[in-house]
Amino acid sequence: MEATTAAPAGRGDPPATGGARHRLDVLRVLTTSDLRVRYGRGGLRYLKWILDPLAALGVYLVLVSLVLTRGADAIGLSLACAIVPFTLLMASIVNALTAVQLRGSILLNMGFPRMLIPIASVLTETIAFTASLVLLPVMMLIYGVEPTAAVLWLPVALAITVVLALALAYPSTLFGIWYPELQPFAVSFARAGFFLAAGLVALDEVTGEARDLLPYNPLTGLFESFRDALLYGRSPAAWELLVPLGAAAVVLAISVPVYMREQSRLAKLVG
Amino acid sequence: MSAVAAAPPSSARSAGGVQLENVGVRFDFDRLGRVVTPGLALFRRIRSTTWGLRGIDLEVEPGSGMALIGPTGAGKTTLLRVVASVLPPDEGRALVRGRIGSLLATAAGLSSLLTGRENAELLGVLAGRSFEETRRNMHLVAERVQLDDAFDRPIHTYSLGMRARLGLAGIQAISPDVLLLDEVFEALDHEFRGIVEDYARELRARGGIVIAAGHDHPALERICPRAAWLDDGHVRASGPFDEVVSAYRRA
Repeated sequence: MEATTAAPAGRGDPPATGGARHRLDVLRVLTTSDLRVRYGRGGLRYLKWILDPLAALGVYLVLVSLVLTRGADAIGLSLACAIVPFTLLMASIVNALTAVQLRGSILLNMGFPRMLIPIASVLTETIAFTASLVLLPVMMLIYGVEPTAAVLWLPVALAITVVLALALAYPSTLFGIWYPELQPFAVSFARAGFFLAAGLVALDEVTGEARDLLPYNPLTGLFESFRDALLYGRSPAAWELLVPLGAAAVVLAISVPVYMREQSRLAKLVG
Repeated sequence: MSAVAAAPPSSARSAGGVQLENVGVRFDFDRLGRVVTPGLALFRRIRSTTWGLRGIDLEVEPGSGMALIGPTGAGKTTLLRVVASVLPPDEGRALVRGRIGSLLATAAGLSSLLTGRENAELLGVLAGRSFEETRRNMHLVAERVQLDDAFDRPIHTYSLGMRARLGLAGIQAISPDVLLLDEVFEALDHEFRGIVEDYARELRARGGIVIAAGHDHPALERICPRAAWLDDGHVRASGPFDEVVSAYRRA
């Protein structure tokens, strides 16, 4: 690294390298190496990327249609609208939980911009996630749902999913290094978020008190925005976009300053 | 700290420079002996504190080499990590000028599931090179590392010596101004020790800096004219290598 200056009681990045251009290069190599380590090489990895959401879709489809006998219209598409964005959120959380340990040997050997570690986790999983998007048109085809102009909201819903994933990645990275023994608990906790949102069934099919409470879970708005764009053919309600976005902003506002303070001392926890 | 002798004259190019002023690195622990960082202090109470380094004043000038000697746990690795920007000082100031190449263990920084080429690419960019520049210079790394087809195999198939070669080739590719070596001689074969020594001397001749820690004093002496004796996180003595080592042995 060039012109390194380590100040007392380090704040911000460990001094490393200059410029946004170099940070992009660092992000690129962190992400490509992460993809290789977590998903291997070759064409088979595209299959791996799609298998996880496909398996989840299969399990939940059986659960909802056969066990719970909730036979709503296009139930497979409705489920996919929740499973596909949730796949990215879960994968980002799982990746971030182990991101520091995975790079432990690099972390103990050299200084580099560690603020980029959670971003690389999300970028890795976003690349893997793009393959799972193919489930959405496939489900639309299977259930004969024709796309409308509302499908133009899909990029917005996807962007909010990525922002939410990034917001969750910072606290997950910290939690993974602070409490490595509690990582399975963190995964279960995050998974519970799916069931405490309109994940298995759409919000329109929920009645009673739960109908009023579910929108407070940011995932409900996210899942409903996907359903609006692809299943119902209408523009998402403002709350569906703003609640997850607001939640992401709050989590980022709290976790990024803590991470910034902590990242220069990650080596003490790894070494 | 007892300054045994003055610093040696600096050489022509002064690309690098290392200056530590009253540097201290603190480790806080909770009641179960777990490390507590500032963020964790929100949830865990600090019950004890140990200073890994305290009051370190060291200056290494361009063209010079400094060996860090002392018993295990004296703070040698922590000091190298401060210079490498792996750890920030909790007190004092560390100024390091120039590009750093660090081998803080023979396989440090290498990811076992990546190939030799992928590791070299990753470490080259993290050390400060651009992605294009790193890719462009990859054939030089391949030549230096002399691993033939193994260069494109995951490094979990490598021996310790092969990993060390890759680590050094990666460092050479970034043309560092400051070379940091932590107990590398202890783990290397005779031939490769010679290669590391030659490179360290060549770097110093170009005006670079070498800081090496370890217990193999003859090897350290061949690349470092000066030494600092660390004990319990403090510098007990620093100066010409033989004087410091003699003082250390007498103690």
